[in-house]
Amino acid sequence: MDGSELRYADYSLSSDQEAVRDAFHDFFAKQCPAERVREAEPLGFDEALWQQLADMGGASMGLPERAGGDGASIVDLLLVAEEAGAALAPVPFIEHAAASRALAAAPGAPAGLLADAASGGRILGLAMQPADVQARQLVPGGAVARHVVALAGDSLVVVHADEPPALAPNQGSTPLAWWDLAGGVRQEIAEGPGAVALYRRARAEWKVLTAAALVGLTERALWIAVEFAKTRETMGVPIGSLQGVSFPLADVAIGISGARNLVRRAAWMLENEPLRDRHLVPAAFAYAAEVATHGATTSAHMQGGLGFTIEADASLYFLRAKGWSVLAGDPAEDVIAVADALADALAGGR
Amino acid sequence: MDFSPVRLDTGQQEFLDEVRSFLAEHVTEDVLEEERRTGSGFNERVHLALGAKGWLMPAWPAERGGAGLDPVRARILELEMRRAGVPSITTGTTNLVVKAVEKYAQPDLAAEVLPAVAAGTVRLCLGYTEPDGGSDIAAAKTRAVRDGDEWVINGSKIFTTGAQNCQYTFLITRTDPELPKHRGLTMFLVPLASKGVEIQAIRTYGGERTNIVYYSDVRISDRYRLGGVNDGWTVLRGPLDEEHGYGRGTGAQIGDVSMGSSFLHTLRRAIDGALVWATTPRDDGSRPIDDRMVRYRLGTVAIHMEAGLATQGPMARVKGSEALVRGAAQLVDLVGPLSLLSEGTPGAEVTGIIDYAHRFAQGTATYGGTVEVFRGIIAQHVLGLPRPNYPGSKVLVSRKRDAGKAA
Repeated sequence: MDGSELRYADYSLSSDQEAVRDAFHDFFAKQCPAERVREAEPLGFDEALWQQLADMGGASMGLPERAGGDGASIVDLLLVAEEAGAALAPVPFIEHAAASRALAAAPGAPAGLLADAASGGRILGLAMQPADVQARQLVPGGAVARHVVALAGDSLVVVHADEPPALAPNQGSTPLAWWDLAGGVRQEIAEGPGAVALYRRARAEWKVLTAAALVGLTERALWIAVEFAKTRETMGVPIGSLQGVSFPLADVAIGISGARNLVRRAAWMLENEPLRDRHLVPAAFAYAAEVATHGATTSAHMQGGLGFTIEADASLYFLRAKGWSVLAGDPAEDVIAVADALADALAGGR
Repeated sequence: MDFSPVRLDTGQQEFLDEVRSFLAEHVTEDVLEEERRTGSGFNERVHLALGAKGWLMPAWPAERGGAGLDPVRARILELEMRRAGVPSITTGTTNLVVKAVEKYAQPDLAAEVLPAVAAGTVRLCLGYTEPDGGSDIAAAKTRAVRDGDEWVINGSKIFTTGAQNCQYTFLITRTDPELPKHRGLTMFLVPLASKGVEIQAIRTYGGERTNIVYYSDVRISDRYRLGGVNDGWTVLRGPLDEEHGYGRGTGAQIGDVSMGSSFLHTLRRAIDGALVWATTPRDDGSRPIDDRMVRYRLGTVAIHMEAGLATQGPMARVKGSEALVRGAAQLVDLVGPLSLLSEGTPGAEVTGIIDYAHRFAQGTATYGGTVEVFRGIIAQHVLGLPRPNYPGSKVLVSRKRDAGKAA
């Protein structure tokens, strides 16, 4: 881990990036209050909100221009994911972005499907485990998607169902569903090492975007608890003046600061130097998952019994912290992937 | 957002080569061994050689004794010095005080001290903490009493690291015990050669040497006062805020974002040692890293190091220290008894850094303001939580208590 290489360490957003973040922040603040999140339960999908998001370019922005998109990079997409995460927006933004970008990069992508993906009219899911290892699996976004991008051996396929399978009701109220990836209509869109690379890239993008969403989730959960701690009194003082409350909340702020920047750096490297520092994407994901679990738990707990009730908005955040972070499997796999990448870099001399 | 490599032009590349050959010549194995043995955080020969180059105050213009380096060259120098392991604690305390000297010292004192700081012949240390005071710097009880054009100082300061190698200490004193706590303080640049100053060594298990310094009827001229009488808190805030990491931005920069980066540099070296250990084949050809449990531990430590490097503001001070404390302890567990052997012991060539990191880590949670002090700063200044109401936050409680006893 060479720490003496001279590199820029600029985590700031450009004015264009700030504009993107602000636009989506305002959109979700206006369109997606907590009531709308609750109304979308248990499916975790609000079709009207999805369409509004698509109208803003949310379904297509990450696609290349030839596929009807804006050519936005993963760095730009993470800004949207963070805002969607903060609002707990019931839309399959992340799965759709990762899967449709893989589709657009695949040589055999059906043009019609790509165009429908760009408009948001067809939602794509992403199978998080190789289909030849386990054909029947829980697919994120799978309860609202009729097309799932999956890897089977060294073949990248789109699996099609006439109707999305039934929701598998779950802790995070996300549109999770069982898909049998060996059944249905399978269309190969890429094969060989290129297909495996596309799938790995899609998973890495899903992880970066989910990590960003978890950062947004954690920060909003923190501010809910901070507001509570400022006004709630015990023994004649606001509880937020007590170190037993303020220090745990400070710990959440510490986690958010590092997780947000680590996700940005990981995304930037994935976009610009994907062969280098390959430990960063799994590191950012594992850290964001840890920070979210800790942050959502702490924020709910600092509101005492009230934070344990489903009436409290804190509950929405608590349930999704795990509801989002284990969709691709145990984050410990990411921890191990960090060590693998570091050992590879050591062997390869960088 | 930009994490690209800084492209060096020909001149900058030549500068890098110059720095590397300079450091190779001056930071010898003997220098490193001496630092491991003494833990003094300072090497006079290296320090003076850097001063002769203008590299102690690299951004200062040549006429002030600096080298007029642009930010890229200054960063190259910083990274190469860190890589070479230049003992740097006294340089660090000197740099914290220099700005207060520039801003508050009377002109003749500044003219005397600043060029000597750049040359390396004058070094500065921090006289903040008192033996019974801990983190509450503003509760200082060391007294300075005016006597004509002189001040008479009595008291003691602990953890004055580097005092044995410094010419002045940046001393916080109580000049008016009747005023509210933060208002009765005055700062001085006290010459350590003064009569009545006694420096006693304290050793830490982090391998560092620090000191307790006693001041007994120390007489100094009023010219050594920095800033106004009873306005010491204003003078102190600059260096204190810098130590606390305020003012580090997120914009286009080539410096460390995290104020915990120096702690994390030690963790990085320990991880590197553990990685080499883990990838070295044993007699049967297997390697520790083939075991998923080993990879999980290594990955955990590396993640928290990277997270620490990415953390900003006062949060970074806590994260940097705690990632090091926990990470080093985990690496000790991982490597087992070999990790208990210190650098320089046969067999510990690669892993000796882990033993050091684990011992060194503990001090980082305290000096420069404890992690608890910083959690308080985060709670109040980042989260806007209400300030706790302690009886001694505005006035010197012990003084009142003493007064009560007397009555």
